[in-house]
Formats: sequence, C-alpha cells, structure tokens
Amino acid sequence: MGASVTVEEACKNYGTLQVIDRWSLNISGGERLVILGPSGAGKTTFLRLIAGLENLTSGSIRVSSKQVGFVFQEPRLIPWRTVKQNLLFVNQEADVDGMLSKLKLTGFENYLPAQLSGGMQQRVNLARALIVDPRLLILDEAFGSLDLRVKLSIIRDIIDQWQEKRFTMVAVTHDLKEALCIADSILIVSSRPSQIVHRFSVHLERGHRAFTDPELLRLESELLSIMSEIQ
Amino acid sequence: MKPWIRSFLGIVLFIGLWEALSRLLDKSLILPKPGIVFRVLGQLLVQVNTYNIALQTAWKVLFALGLVLILGVFLGLLLGLVKPLNDMSRPIIMVIQAVPVISWLSLVIFTWGISWEGPVFIAFLSLLPTAILTTIAGVQNLDRRLLEMARIYRVPWLKVLKEVYLGSLLPFFIAVVDVSLGQAWKVILVAEFLCGDQGLGVQISWARQLFNIPGVYAYTLLAVILGMLTERVIKYYLGKVKKRWAPA
Repeated sequence: MGASVTVEEACKNYGTLQVIDRWSLNISGGERLVILGPSGAGKTTFLRLIAGLENLTSGSIRVSSKQVGFVFQEPRLIPWRTVKQNLLFVNQEADVDGMLSKLKLTGFENYLPAQLSGGMQQRVNLARALIVDPRLLILDEAFGSLDLRVKLSIIRDIIDQWQEKRFTMVAVTHDLKEALCIADSILIVSSRPSQIVHRFSVHLERGHRAFTDPELLRLESELLSIMSEIQ
Repeated sequence: MKPWIRSFLGIVLFIGLWEALSRLLDKSLILPKPGIVFRVLGQLLVQVNTYNIALQTAWKVLFALGLVLILGVFLGLLLGLVKPLNDMSRPIIMVIQAVPVISWLSLVIFTWGISWEGPVFIAFLSLLPTAILTTIAGVQNLDRRLLEMARIYRVPWLKVLKEVYLGSLLPFFIAVVDVSLGQAWKVILVAEFLCGDQGLGVQISWARQLFNIPGVYAYTLLAVILGMLTERVIKYYLGKVKKRWAPA
C-alpha cells in the first residue's frame, strides 16, 4: 500500500524569499497527485520537502513511509557504474534483472550511462526509483526532455508498476496531457509565494489513458481555462 | 611512421646533439662524450652492487609516494569535506609548499643524521601539499546531485564513499600520481645527494667528489631510465584501475 502524506500549513523560505506559502493537503495511500503551476512556484521544492531533502520553515509534513523513490529531472546515474551497478547501488538485494526486464532494459545491464540515449537513461532513473519498492514515488519533471514516443512508453511503464504495487505518486510537470495521463487529482498552485488555488479531480479510468482520449482532451481544455483564470 | 620509430629517432638525435656539443665544448669535466658515459654505464650495469644501489633509491621513491598518496588523499578528503578545517589548514599547506628542500635538509640532518629517513621525509613534505590540494579540488568538484540521490535512497555512507567519492576522485588521484612520481625521483636524488646514506644520489655525490664526471652522467642516466620505467609500470596499472572504475 502507498504512503499517505499529510501537509499542514507548510511554508518554505530561502532567506527572505518565500517560496511556499501555507500549503495544506492530504495525499492518501495509492493516490496519484500531479502538481501544476508556474515556474518558480516551489513545486520541485515541495517534492524535495516530502522526500526529506529539505526542511520546512514552518508547518509540518508527515509521510507515513520512508521508502521513497525519486525520479529526478536529470537521471543522476553514477557515470562510472553500469546500469546494473547503478541499481544495485540503491538496493543490494533487489531482483535487478526482473526490474530491467519490466522496464525494457534487458540487454543493457552492462552499459554505462554515457552509452545510453536520454530516454534509456531516464528509464534507468525510473528503474532505480522502483527497485527500492517505494511506498511513495516522486517524479520531478521526469519526462521533460524526452520525445513523445519515449514519454508515452515510460508513462505506460509507470502505470503498469502502479497497478501492480499501488504506491502513492506525486509528480510535477508542465505538460497538461502528461498530468491527465497520470493523475487522480491535480493540484494547481499560484506563482511565488505559491499557494494552493485549486484541486482538480480527474475522473478517468485509473489504468492506461490515451493522449487522444476525448474525455482527456475535454478535461485538458477545462484545466487550461482554470489555469488561465488563475494566471 | 610508427610512434616507437619516432621515439627511437628522437633518442638518436639527442645523443647526436650531445656528441656534437661535447666535441664543440671539448671539456670532459663539464660534458663528457656520450660514448664514454655509455661505457661507464655498461660497466655499472654488469655489477650486482649497482642494482642494490638503484633499489635503495627506488624503494625510497615508492615509499615516499605511498605515504604521500595515503596521507595526502586522506587529508585532502577530510579538508575538502570540512570547510572550516580547510580554511584553517590552508596557510599551513602553503607554508609547507613554499619551504625549499634545502631548508628541510638542516632539520633532517639534525634529526636523523645521514640516513634513509631524511630523503623520504623531504620527498614526503615536498609532494604532500600537491596531493592534498589536488584531492581537495576533487572533493569540491564532486557531483552533489549524486550525493543527494544517495541520501534519498539511504545508501550506507561507506558505500557512498566507495562508489561515489572514490570514483569521482580517481582522476584526481591519477593526476597526483602522475605529477608526484617524476617529482619524487628528483627530490629523492637531491636529498640523497645531500644527506643520504645509500642510493643513486649518494653515488652521484661521490662521483662528483672524485671528479668522475662520466660516472655522474652514468648514474644520472640510470636514474632517468629507472624513473621512466617505474612511471610506465605505475601508469600501466593505473590505466587498468581507471578502466575498471571510470571507463567513460
């Protein structure tokens, strides 16, 4: 079961610069939440806060499990270690071959990151996050630099894994379609100092969703109008 | 033309220039003819004692280098990670770096007299600052994002040290060996010349006192050949380590 996340009046300042202003929300176990908002609104900061990489200025964040997987914007693989060694680095006892197979990385076990394409590196980044059997999976603009085909394929893999493990997902993206493909609910935040301005429920089938699904396209235009009202 | 042929031609050209210059100067006390030097070198090479002498110098070089690497990398790691310590120790490192070999010499002679410890200590102090400063630069160049990743996945620190720190530091470690090895030979020879009990430096010193100038050149040539050989061997093994750790 996925971890639950409880955020109460969370504020984050960097010196005199306030980034996050009194965010309060609950993310239930197994929920898939996507955060949308303008650049510099503290979305990545929020992810870092729930991952325990940074401390709040005030307020509180409680995550019910410490088993966290983080798919970074850039792959952050150890350059001098092979794909397999990169996965073993975070979990020595894991079934690496099984995970590589699930993420279509079989045959690339002994490749170094530099020998892989951007899409493959991002797959390894995802495999590393999943191999720790996370209760909370965090995705920070994980598909931003990928072409559409690779992006769709990786989203499909994530949904497959979610269907199997039902971990909680918190993602940040700028792509509305991508958000609608993943999310159960979408959190819309304002510009800095950011506040939560809307929580949008996505009533779509929780399995695989197509970018061309008419209901998804309708929700996209609805979302777009909400966002343009906010900005 | 193959590289080894070019290198061989370079050596022939060097000997030719040496021969020409020695004929031009015609002062065997300054520059003896290469033929004479090579003859002396040949005589030295057939004596078992020469190898004992060369070994005396070689082990000092390797011992000093080993000490420098162990302590230099350890201290560099520590100072690179703890900034206040780095700030405090920087003036000390700078002082050690600036002190000339000759100043250490007096201290060494008073402490150990004429012995093997002196040359090793002098070489150690001469090379240590470079090793520390290079390692500090390596730590400061470390990809912090990898450390952050390791933190999220709660990877044990010993594993992080081995996989992330050592991997990142390896190119700097190789640079330390690269710079230090040649330096170590030179410093040990000078120190042996001035305060050593045995070794090639001592032999050069005696040859000079006896006006055996071809002997000075022959021992120098022997030191150069040994220096190049150790460099080749160490670089070969470092290359293997590099291939295993940082093939990219």
